[in-house]
Amino acid sequence: PPPGATMLVGVLRLPRGPDGCSRGFSPTSPRFQALLGGDTVAAQGARAALRQRYLRGLAAARGRPTQFCLRAGVRVDAVFGAADVEAVAFQVDALRTPLGVQAAALLRCTDVLAYSFLL
Amino acid sequence: MNDWQRKSPLDWEVYVNKMVKVAAIEKHEYEGWVLTVDPVSASIVLATFLENEKVSISVVLGHAVQEVEILKEGDEEMKQRLSCIFAPEESKAYSPEEEEKRKNALKTWLEKNHIPVTEQGESGRTLCVAGVLTIDPPYGPEECSSSNEIILSRVQGLIQGYLEKQQ
Repeated sequence: PPPGATMLVGVLRLPRGPDGCSRGFSPTSPRFQALLGGDTVAAQGARAALRQRYLRGLAAARGRPTQFCLRAGVRVDAVFGAADVEAVAFQVDALRTPLGVQAAALLRCTDVLAYSFLL
Repeated sequence: MNDWQRKSPLDWEVYVNKMVKVAAIEKHEYEGWVLTVDPVSASIVLATFLENEKVSISVVLGHAVQEVEILKEGDEEMKQRLSCIFAPEESKAYSPEEEEKRKNALKTWLEKNHIPVTEQGESGRTLCVAGVLTIDPPYGPEECSSSNEIILSRVQGLIQGYLEKQQ
């Protein structure tokens, strides 16, 4: 066909998915509701506000001497480095252990019960 | 996953700005004002005001929480005090005209560098770059927000360079 002329093409329609809306993931589908636990817009807003404050708290902790309360009554001092997105581990500097000071270390979140620092 | 971790964000929100006693595993107890509860780990962030004007922050990991008891509700003054604890540092204050000039200068510079930028928000004070990053007044690298770390890092670098050239 000459350049610039429009061409008609057949439209390929995909079969409808089980959720009725075949454009992919439907937020009102029972499967999605079950996954999210029915989180409403209000819940999402609360989640975002809570998370933002928590992230600012992590930023405030950075570089500060922190005491970590681990399991079995073990307490260790270190300088707070960072936390990861999925709350798997904390990165710390200058971790004081009975064997000496570790320049950098990771503490598993499952091993940590609580931690505290001064502002 | 324990009962505390299973709560919804709206449940956790109820505890914010309240003085609570947290009973944790291994018989640990923590008391303080709730600053926030992390929705990802259900960790409770507590603030305790010390004698010497210092604030002690304790974070009890969600998986270690057994029970949370509300002791008292914070009044308006306490809520204000708590909201300031992690607030970002006050940057140098610019007058509305200066702020507008900074915004327009940055917007023009971004456009000259073929970076799509629009104004949004109330009174158009926020710049929106490529639909994925926002810049609030006073339009420095610290005021950039984005959920994409790579774009955030790139744009912060660009703005840093732009501001340094201005000096």
